[in-house]
Amino acid sequence: MRGKEGFNNLIMDPGLHVRLAGVGKRFGAGPGVIEEFSLAAAPGEFVSLIGPSGCGKSTLLRLIAGLTPPSAGEISVGGAAPLAGREGVFLIFQDANLLPWRRVAANVELPLMLRGDPAGARHERVRAMLDLVGLPHAAGHYPWQLSGGMRMRVSIARALSVAPRLLLLDEPFGALDEMTRDRLNEDLLAIRERDPFTAFFVTHSVMEAVFLSNRIIVLSANPGRIAREIAVPFSYPRRPELRETPEFLALIAETSHALRSVLPR
Amino acid sequence: MKRATRWLFPLGTGILLLAVWYGAKRLWQIPSFVLPTPGEILAAAWQERRTLVASVLITGRGALLGFVAAVGVGFLLSLVMAFSLRLKQSFYPYILMLQMTPVVILAPIFVLWLGQGLPAIVAVTFMICFFPVVANTTMGFLSADRGWAELFVVCRATRWQEIRYLRIPAAMPYFLTGMKIAGTLAPIGAITGDFLAGTQENGVGGIGFMTIAYFSQLKIPALFATGVTACLLGFLFVGGVSLLHWVLLRRWHDSFIGSRRN
Ligand SMILES: Nc1ncnc2c1ncn2[C@@H]1O[C@H](COP(=O)(O)OP(=O)(O)OP(=O)(O)O)[C@@H](O)[C@H]1O
Ligand SMILES: [Mg+2]
Repeated sequence: MRGKEGFNNLIMDPGLHVRLAGVGKRFGAGPGVIEEFSLAAAPGEFVSLIGPSGCGKSTLLRLIAGLTPPSAGEISVGGAAPLAGREGVFLIFQDANLLPWRRVAANVELPLMLRGDPAGARHERVRAMLDLVGLPHAAGHYPWQLSGGMRMRVSIARALSVAPRLLLLDEPFGALDEMTRDRLNEDLLAIRERDPFTAFFVTHSVMEAVFLSNRIIVLSANPGRIAREIAVPFSYPRRPELRETPEFLALIAETSHALRSVLPR
Repeated sequence: MKRATRWLFPLGTGILLLAVWYGAKRLWQIPSFVLPTPGEILAAAWQERRTLVASVLITGRGALLGFVAAVGVGFLLSLVMAFSLRLKQSFYPYILMLQMTPVVILAPIFVLWLGQGLPAIVAVTFMICFFPVVANTTMGFLSADRGWAELFVVCRATRWQEIRYLRIPAAMPYFLTGMKIAGTLAPIGAITGDFLAGTQENGVGGIGFMTIAYFSQLKIPALFATGVTACLLGFLFVGGVSLLHWVLLRRWHDSFIGSRRN
């Protein structure tokens, strides 16, 4: 369905531009979770956020999604202030967040149904997305019948079904085994070749961050600040074999080193 | 083996209770106008079957109407209160006040306004069933997971879509719990209702009315039989709600899948 427009998108709309300038966030009278945070992502850029637990990565994604307002600074998404529930922005949550009373197919279909797509196109898209995440046989299952990893894959299928222009991913593959994770990493990049989008990707896996991103942001905690930015020079499309090259391994070492220096002793 | 014990244990308890009943009666020489035997109660029930069937229909009708009204009004009111804090604050204290006022006091007022008979009985049943439905369902509407609510925001769902596809399904388990409690209370409400506001036709009224009639005629085994009838009516209501619970939740809710999960 979107395949035909894919080429046009590549030229005209690689994704939304995101800019954060001096952003701060505190909850109530608590300490600043994020302070003086400035970052710009070009349209179609893939930015990974990595840092110690509790440093504000999820909060950052929620700010960009417009689910919570910043306490200081400015955020712009595609040239406008972030608005909760804006067309083309989708968030993949840290837990799969499926509705237990809807079958897998109905869960994937939910965003399409809510925005009023016709039923025929919806079902075709749901089938394609479930094929993509390797769960075509699970369409009729309820979430409780799936493993944690399968549930996460359904959640990914649900997000991709709307062909987002900006995708915010909060540790989507954290619960998966390494093989599945590698495959889904490759699939995610393949989907992005066809339907480009800007991505913010929170992860605890250095390997995943290096394989997926244009840029890795290493965060320090209390308050959340940018400790280090690492550019990833590899061009897309990236082949699975990239993981075995010395350049790739060197970048993993560099990122791990940067991460170790921000982890509390 | 497991299937067999499921039936054997309650059956054994039943036989034991009957033995104690007959034993006590024989041991202390209790006369039948104080404590009839189960056999005598059944015989009386058979003898009075026309009256009892008629009275259970009368009471059942009042119970059902009051129950349905309470469930419907309770559901809608909960929905309204769940989506407007101001409305909740405005209504809730008065709903509580109504719940605190004993039904025995409300019943004469209903009779005053509605006259003796069905309308007053339905009103009493409504009053007794209403609160558990409202309290549980309101809780249900407010208990949808925050992550789900955010998903609906991200999906740009309209208010109505959020209610239809998130709030109502998420509230279902709570709503059905409220309904189950109301189901046990509805027959009690209706019997209380015709005890206090019941009417008769050719000496036949609702179960509550017949209780008074049999007592005044000293038909003690028949009095016990009305108790059995009331009990059966209660089971009918609870069974109905349990069936609905099963139909709506069996596929996804933990209360049914918990045992299947391993
Ligand atoms: N709604 C909230 N109210 C109050 N404090 C909050 C709220 N949400 C997050 N916090 C606080 O903000 C800090 C950062 O939380 P956040 O969830 O963004 O961390 P994170 O980097 O995603 O951690 P993790 O890697 O463990 O997921 C934590 O100290 C947390 O307690
Ligand atoms: Mg997080």
